[in-house]
Amino acid sequence: MKSKYFNILAVIAVLGLIIGCFGMADRLMYGHLHAGYGSYVPWGLWVVFYLFFVGLTAGAFLITIMTYVFGVTRLKNVGTLSAFTVLVALMCELIFVSLDLGHFGRIYRFLITPNFSSLMTWFVIFTNLMLIIYLLECFFLIREKLVLWSTENRSGKAFYRLLALGKTEYTASDRESDNRIVRLLSIISLPAGLLFYGTNGAFFAILQNRPIWNSAMTPLLFILAALLSGGALITFLIAVFHSDDEITRILGRAVFFILVVFLLMEFIQFFVGYKTGMTSILTSLDLIVTGPYAWTFWLVHLLIGSLIPLILFITGINNPKAIAWACLLIVVTFVSVRFNFLIPDLAVYKLEGLEQTFSHPRLRTHYTPSVNEWLVSVWIVSLGVLVFISGIRWLPILSSEKGGVNHV
Amino acid sequence: MARILPGEDLLIRMQRDLKRSLAADMSSIKWSMIIDQAKCAGCHACTIGCVSENKLPPGVVYRPVIEEEVGTYPNVRRRFLPRPCMHCQNPPCTKVCPVQATYQNQQGVVVVDYTRCIGCRYCLVACPYSARTSDFGEWYTTDTPDAEGKMVGRAKASESYEAIPATEYGKQWPKRGHGSPVGNARKCHFCLHRVAVGMLPACVTTCVGRATFFGNRNDSQSLISELLGSPRVHRLKEELGTKPSVYYLQ
Ligand code: SF4
Ligand code: SF4
Repeated sequence: MKSKYFNILAVIAVLGLIIGCFGMADRLMYGHLHAGYGSYVPWGLWVVFYLFFVGLTAGAFLITIMTYVFGVTRLKNVGTLSAFTVLVALMCELIFVSLDLGHFGRIYRFLITPNFSSLMTWFVIFTNLMLIIYLLECFFLIREKLVLWSTENRSGKAFYRLLALGKTEYTASDRESDNRIVRLLSIISLPAGLLFYGTNGAFFAILQNRPIWNSAMTPLLFILAALLSGGALITFLIAVFHSDDEITRILGRAVFFILVVFLLMEFIQFFVGYKTGMTSILTSLDLIVTGPYAWTFWLVHLLIGSLIPLILFITGINNPKAIAWACLLIVVTFVSVRFNFLIPDLAVYKLEGLEQTFSHPRLRTHYTPSVNEWLVSVWIVSLGVLVFISGIRWLPILSSEKGGVNHV
Repeated sequence: MARILPGEDLLIRMQRDLKRSLAADMSSIKWSMIIDQAKCAGCHACTIGCVSENKLPPGVVYRPVIEEEVGTYPNVRRRFLPRPCMHCQNPPCTKVCPVQATYQNQQGVVVVDYTRCIGCRYCLVACPYSARTSDFGEWYTTDTPDAEGKMVGRAKASESYEAIPATEYGKQWPKRGHGSPVGNARKCHFCLHRVAVGMLPACVTTCVGRATFFGNRNDSQSLISELLGSPRVHRLKEELGTKPSVYYLQ
């Protein structure tokens, strides 16, 4: 990564951390007191971001599977970058979820009194499993270089020695065993990952009182959404950090295809929903297309996040720059897709007349994220960006042939 | 005829029923509630009685009364639907709780263990009746001015009322601050702390229309069992299969 870009991104991330600090301090001191959600819309922006980051892990997950399980050697160069991306996205996701809990200190309850009939328990199990898998995978992928760097005459030697757990020699048999471990971890991550994404969709789909979510299509749509946003992210990262035009083109085509299928599925969801004529479904769908946040659907998701990328793909399917731009637009606008998935089904009174009795801001279905929620989100996203670019800059994440490592 | 002549107050009968049930085998009890919509006057006394009994903070409500207007002028009628937790016999809320913090007790009452709840609010999302609210740590006295001269200011006002917790679930909770029940899911618990000592739930005793009935539906002599035989009985959202223990008389 070029120093100039690193510096710009680092400054932005540090600024984000500083600004976000105010939100974090407020969250830690006053809990959820200054959050905009309430009891009828119990989840808000932090859950939207959690869904967003779940999705971002998917593309990189696929690449690691293809590289290390199916042995697609063409992708080997980007394997470490993908594994590292999954790791950072999982980290952000976990911070968002943790801060959304009313009693974070009781997290140990998952170990003492877990309820295995709850999909949230499984979500926690699979998320942690993925985190451990990818932490180990990243370690074994970069161990060789860590050992090498810890013995070379370069700054930060002690740091690399620490990361290499004090190992000073790296033999051919070490390499072989590390490769075997990485492959094994990737094989384990395949079912773990599929269950992880499936659980995330099923988490919402099983709720029979939520007409839009309560559909067999939800887990499917979730996997597709994850592949789209995650695929777009990894394509963008590869285009920028690896400048590997061929892989960018291959992945670009895949993202283009997934985008088309995703939009088709979305259309089917709306078509079937409107055709059912059920008030509960219509109200939620109307909220998406004509509600106060309709602009996030029409402008952010459909125009900037779908139509423009589609045009870029069609006109420049062989042009890595066009592909990178299209992917970037898909990724950054995907928060609106998650927002429009989460909020509308919550923002409908489940008992008619409830809105007129016992009024209080926490007992309304109108939800606007509070400043504090945004500040906390800025803090976590900035932390994610900082960890990511620092990893790229100071860890052997990018392969050396592509000119990424000798900048320490 | 008998109904309009002065007789034994229904509360006395329910009180007797309650004592009889408590004296018998506890495991055979299934607490239930019946709300007679024809008698409900929409006065919200039960809502307020509950708020006061359980010291509910702003934004937390266990038993709102939903008002509905039917017909067009001049043929307009108003219908009222008090909505406590339904204490579903097949509750969707307990199944989703990841840490078993909410469950059905032996008497069929769906309770929340405040010391276990991690505040994920999954149960709020899963409840089809919106019967759960989360305690976000709000205070009524937030905007009360501080003491000046002889005026009772914010600190004193909050200390002498809001900060003192209710004895929900028969426990002595710490002074209101950051600890539970702040950050927890909260809901109607049929005033178990009162029932345990032979008192009817607060909403039953405060109901001016005598529209709310409470008792053990497994006790064939109880008023509640008698009323359950009425053809007017119905339950909310029956189609979901949640089997509420709260019944309505239309
Ligand atoms: S009404 Fe809601 S909170 Fe009460 S038991 Fe049923 S699902 Fe649970
Ligand atoms: S908010 Fe508490 S009671 Fe409700 S599901 Fe979460 S942990 Fe369980």
